[in-house]
Amino acid sequence: MSIEIRLPTALRAFADKQERISVDAKDVGDALERLFIRHERLRQQLMAPDGKLRLFVNIYVNDDDARDRQGLSTPIKDGDTILIVPAIAGGSTVAEQGLTKAELVRYDRHLIMPEVGPEGQKKLKNASVLCVGAGGLGSPLALYLAAAGVGRIGIIDFDVVDESNLQRQIIHDTASIGTSKLASAKKRLLALNPYISVETHEARLTSANAVELFKKYDVIADGTDNFATRYLVNDACVLTGRPNAYGSIFRFEGQLAVFGLKDGPCYRCLYPEPPPPGLVPSCSEAGVLGVLPGVIGTMQAIEALKLILGIGRPLSGRLMLYDALEQSWRTLNVKKKPACPVCSENPTIKAPIDYEAFCGLKEKPMSTIPEISVQDLKAKLDKKEIFVLVDVREPHEYEIAKIAGSTLIPLGKLPERFAELDKSAKLIVHCKMGGRSAKAVQLLREKGYDATNVTGGITAWSEQIDPSVPQY
Amino acid sequence: MSLRLNRAVEQIAMNTAEKAFPEEGCGLLIGPVPDGFDVMGRAVEVDEARPLPNGWDASAKTNRYLIDPKIMARVEAELSGTGRGVVGFFHSHPQVPAWPSPFDLMMAMPCCSYWIIQVRDGKAVDSRAWQRTEDGRSFVEEEIFLGGYI
Repeated sequence: MSIEIRLPTALRAFADKQERISVDAKDVGDALERLFIRHERLRQQLMAPDGKLRLFVNIYVNDDDARDRQGLSTPIKDGDTILIVPAIAGGSTVAEQGLTKAELVRYDRHLIMPEVGPEGQKKLKNASVLCVGAGGLGSPLALYLAAAGVGRIGIIDFDVVDESNLQRQIIHDTASIGTSKLASAKKRLLALNPYISVETHEARLTSANAVELFKKYDVIADGTDNFATRYLVNDACVLTGRPNAYGSIFRFEGQLAVFGLKDGPCYRCLYPEPPPPGLVPSCSEAGVLGVLPGVIGTMQAIEALKLILGIGRPLSGRLMLYDALEQSWRTLNVKKKPACPVCSENPTIKAPIDYEAFCGLKEKPMSTIPEISVQDLKAKLDKKEIFVLVDVREPHEYEIAKIAGSTLIPLGKLPERFAELDKSAKLIVHCKMGGRSAKAVQLLREKGYDATNVTGGITAWSEQIDPSVPQY
Repeated sequence: MSLRLNRAVEQIAMNTAEKAFPEEGCGLLIGPVPDGFDVMGRAVEVDEARPLPNGWDASAKTNRYLIDPKIMARVEAELSGTGRGVVGFFHSHPQVPAWPSPFDLMMAMPCCSYWIIQVRDGKAVDSRAWQRTEDGRSFVEEEIFLGGYI
């Protein structure tokens, strides 16, 4: 008995692109079996391992659903048509999660505000924020997001807790020194709020992983301390359409903004290019007031919550500058740049680039400049060799610790103070660790000075030569 | 691997998704049936988005969609022999991200593009396209190209 089987578009590729296939069979199951003998790949598509039809497969005999008749045993006769029709269905993972009784109690102070209310709290519960860094800014940020009930908090970091972190990184504690920052942060967040989930990503954020990672979150909060990662976070946010609740800190000052909203500017609209490497010292070099990240990180948490709740006016198109010494906030307007390489209509950057190269971090002048060890320096001093010892740290660092007989010229001031140095003199340059002094040596050599760098800086001096010099 | 759309197709799908909010919106993506439709990474060109009612019962429309097989059969019959076919489906995920759920995977057909649109508070905020592997174990994301055909 010849009957015709009709395949839907989706399955024809498994049957040599045929739409209609004729077979001789007595019932539906028999017809399918004959179809599979000819086109084996169809079997896996239509039949579950238990031999039953897969859930999404509907079989019609002429116009009747085979399920309403006898299923696979439905008899067929010459001239019948078997129609295979996919039941197209699906849906999101879970319905938006509602609030449990315990959560209603916990979030009471949110729930009684109409701007948040149960609807807003549900938005928080169903939202996700990625904190880039579990350091000074990431600490208050993640803690407040967790407390506020943001349902899924991601953290990316690769560091371990160091004792010198604890002056400001309050998500960690003394017992966690030497352990992974992620493990320490996760433990603390879940202790604060067990109703949320914390996802940890033990990795360095790179051009290769940023986009895929950002796609999994609704809001990104940048709490990084270096320009390469900051530009990467910015670009990846624009590329994935994720808003960036940005904060940064330096000594007594902080910056705050929301970048990457559709109509708003991005970080590159504000700063198209990073500063020359070495000119802006990091927190470990320049220091930071311990409470400062508490102020800025908390403000980032506020912006993240506003973005999720859709309330208020996001800090987009504005840059806020905080000065702890003056106890003042200033707001600058920032415009979206029509020619921005990332967020304009015709971007030139369509994928993350090599940020180390972009920020000039790949040039390693250190390897091409002359260097001496602290032992060599000690020997030269003992032999009373004639040279000028230049210290390129900041004045407050000089006050904490210095090597006797050195001349202080902070790196940032060097270009305007070349004249103070004698071109015929031999210069030996140091800083705290050897990084800034390497830059200084390069600058000096470009100007024709005979300059040499001290490897390891005053820290190595304190460790290996003179322990009476304090380390900081 | 790619799903190629034009502005009209995008508009129709996005509008359907936004209008359906807070329920899921859905529809068919129609275009020429490509050679090697079953190859992972094939390109699919869509020249028509056809919105359809969400046939799931009212209790779960906020996280489920269903396209009535009778309508599906009718469209297949209409396109029969034309070289065009149902090459994919679009549906929305109210509030949650445009990543296929385990249920999406369980119900997915091979070959086709599954275009998922995330709608947050009534606005389409993200969309991603996916092709199921032949073994049915996973989805692979495919790139969405908007504009003319290549």
